[in-house]
Amino acid sequence: MSDTVGAAPTRLDIVAKVKGTRKYPQDFNMDGQLWAAVVWAAHPHAIVRRIDTSAAEAVAGVVRIITARDVPVNSYGISTPDQPVLVGEGTKVRWVGDRIAIVVAQDRRTAYRARDLVRVDYEPLPVVSDVFTAMREDAPRIHENRPNNILHHIPIRKGNVEEGFAEADVIVEGEIATPFVEHAYMQPEAGIGYIDEQGRVTVIAAAQWPHDDLHQIARMLNLPEDQVREIVPAVGGAFGGREDMYIQHLLALCAFVMRRPVKMVWDREESITRTGKRHPFYFQYKVGAKRDGTLTAAQIRLISDAGAYASTSVPVLNNAASFAAGPYKYPHAHIDAYTVFTNNAVTMAMRGFGATQPPVLYETFMDQLAEKLGMDPVELRLKNLLGDGDISVTGNAMWGGVGIKETLRQAALAAGWREVAGHWVKPDLGQPSAPYKRRGIGVACAYKNVGYSFGFDDKSEAEVILRLKYDGSIASATVKTAAVDVGQGVTTALAQIAAATLGIPLSRVRVALIDTSDVPNAGSSSASRHTYITGNAVQGACKAALENRDRILREETGETVVSARYLYRGRSRRPTTPYDPVTGQCNPHISYSYGTEIALVEVDTETGETDVLKMWAAHDAGKVVNPAMYFGQVAGGVHMGVGYGLTEEFILQEGVPRTRRFSEYFIPTVLDMPKELASVAVEVEDPTGPFGAKGLGETPTLPTAAAIANAIHDATGIWLKRIPATSEVIWRAIHGKT
Amino acid sequence: MQTLEMNVNGSDVRLDIHPDETLAEVLRDRLGLIGTKIACGEGECGACTVLIDGVAVTSCITPAMKAHGRRVVTIEGLSGDRELHTIQQAFVDSTASQCGYCTPGFVMATKALLDANPNPSREDIMRGISGNLCRCTGYYQIVDAVALAAKRLAEEEQP
Repeated sequence: MSDTVGAAPTRLDIVAKVKGTRKYPQDFNMDGQLWAAVVWAAHPHAIVRRIDTSAAEAVAGVVRIITARDVPVNSYGISTPDQPVLVGEGTKVRWVGDRIAIVVAQDRRTAYRARDLVRVDYEPLPVVSDVFTAMREDAPRIHENRPNNILHHIPIRKGNVEEGFAEADVIVEGEIATPFVEHAYMQPEAGIGYIDEQGRVTVIAAAQWPHDDLHQIARMLNLPEDQVREIVPAVGGAFGGREDMYIQHLLALCAFVMRRPVKMVWDREESITRTGKRHPFYFQYKVGAKRDGTLTAAQIRLISDAGAYASTSVPVLNNAASFAAGPYKYPHAHIDAYTVFTNNAVTMAMRGFGATQPPVLYETFMDQLAEKLGMDPVELRLKNLLGDGDISVTGNAMWGGVGIKETLRQAALAAGWREVAGHWVKPDLGQPSAPYKRRGIGVACAYKNVGYSFGFDDKSEAEVILRLKYDGSIASATVKTAAVDVGQGVTTALAQIAAATLGIPLSRVRVALIDTSDVPNAGSSSASRHTYITGNAVQGACKAALENRDRILREETGETVVSARYLYRGRSRRPTTPYDPVTGQCNPHISYSYGTEIALVEVDTETGETDVLKMWAAHDAGKVVNPAMYFGQVAGGVHMGVGYGLTEEFILQEGVPRTRRFSEYFIPTVLDMPKELASVAVEVEDPTGPFGAKGLGETPTLPTAAAIANAIHDATGIWLKRIPATSEVIWRAIHGKT
Repeated sequence: MQTLEMNVNGSDVRLDIHPDETLAEVLRDRLGLIGTKIACGEGECGACTVLIDGVAVTSCITPAMKAHGRRVVTIEGLSGDRELHTIQQAFVDSTASQCGYCTPGFVMATKALLDANPNPSREDIMRGISGNLCRCTGYYQIVDAVALAAKRLAEEEQP
């Protein structure tokens, strides 16, 4: 069948998208709606002494100004409710994304004009703008109720690293850093809040986890959850940036206070400067290997900048620590991971969730070891990569079809590596396009968990409703799940899984719209988890619905509609455990996906500019559900990785954003992408995944920047101390300027 | 207030607008043509691309009065009587849209590109759409879609 699992039928949402008829949150309007604008904190760290709304209230068309006094329970946060919804008099702002008030007016222009007239008197406090200062005993505290600014520390201890370093013939050590990164989804924050016909506080917004928003909004408004409702229409990209609430609670509050529809649409500057980012990491490392390339020990210290509030910084750190040393076998490992409060931007989930920064570290030191050992980088990696049953730094045996070696082998062969007399030999790179340009090639591997980790109960519920013909065959199937299609195509993938399980054409499958009052909780569109976790839930519901049908048919009840719900829990087949607080030993992850990317670059030694000529990408996401969407995820991941490696950095100066718009924050254009992208699917199936699928949403972003960095080293001899490798960074390194 | 008269997707419209309203605002808020997307507000990303007298413009920074007396085509007007224009069908067949927020802008930029150059090389295509940003696709399937559209349009031209 041309539309079953493994085929590439037309995406269910794409016709409406090319016609421009798909509605995103900013496309909804309601009769009698008002417009709102946020008054943002003007300081990164200060006590709010006085809020004077009189001048703003005097503006014609202003209806109301909502402040902290209007919020029933003035706190929220996905992991821990440490963020004020609105900062009131006598309390602190901790970053420039904190909110003071919401101006509600008859139209958007009036709301925005009036918000600038809200006068706020601040008592500025010292700004903590870097993690090293933040960790000092005498640093100003960001949160008064905590003993210091260290939000969390994870130790991992395996074996004895001193012994490991004593056994090593070569040791490399150093430091490397990664930047704040903006999600830069194309659809700015927007939505509408209103009271529905049943009196429920209702929000239409782009979300990744509608039921968690529901839970948080109910808590904030002190309402039972059945008095709150969230509808998720088309989402214009998310990448983790919509995992925690950003506008949902504000819209709910507006509706709750005004009892009328209130719409809000942020501009790009608000989107970039007032929302969460990818964590910057600061790594220190020391790694040893024997002459034959066998790794003996890794010692790693990493510090992540949590920004002003916890958000998901602790779960991100959990991931980062487990992946810090890379997908390699180490007899001895000593890892310390910290996440630290500052007055910088709140940092949160972003594609990779703590698995994106580590490859910049571990793939750098693997190439440094290869260079010291005089060994080919592919050969060194193949010697040390984890396989099925191998023990990771957290002491667990790897499971679920470990395809990483195969991704490396296939990527290397595609890029022209040859195996000669038992050794790997890198390809000839051809002549650079000009005498002042140099070519280089770089390889990087990476891996990532699929599903929530460390004992977190990862569950997803789906409902399937079958409409039956007279003979009991299926006329149509409706799938109900709150798995949000943020653009990745999960709706189509789940429909394909349903069609294949039910044995019907895709055209007979409908996926219900996401409305928390109608569809069950699927967890978030994150952790590369929906194909695997929600795919299992949909498959389970389909099988249960078929069983129900067969039973009622036997009883000849004449039923024309049968349905079933199924709750899939990751722990049912793959239990995970939290870190041991002393040794860090645990069983961290449900499943994994793996990938290798290779970059061929040309560096202009006169300008420092890096041109990526070609990339090869081999990813193991298990069974590929839809090859066209698979390629789309790989290419989109590479796009984000190219930006990460070469151009993207959200810059703050003393807590004040300096990159505020797309003319200052550079996501790659089509001309900045590799001229060619060769993609290979390595399908090592996970027997616990639906049809053997794992997950793909994040892995393709992980190795890209590291592969480019290694290629730059191959071309120029420069070991980068930080990314992005902008023209300026490379030019300064080549010309000996710091 | 000023009076704006223009032809939008084949229909004449007459509106009283504020002189500082952008074309994107007028199209979306006054005419309900929501297919024109606003993403950056500074003409950097191309999501708001529409055609004025056949020329692609970023409507988020185009004063609406610039369209006075002229013909504007938005994504809603591209396909005419057909369900999908050939360019739109090529985007569907190439899986050239993920979140889709940038898609109408890319489709309109493609229309302008192929009107000016019906037989573009891959390099021409890349230069032609380099003013449009996409955060999801990595652009390859979009470039494929433009090439496919060019090929099909040329075939449609054949007698």
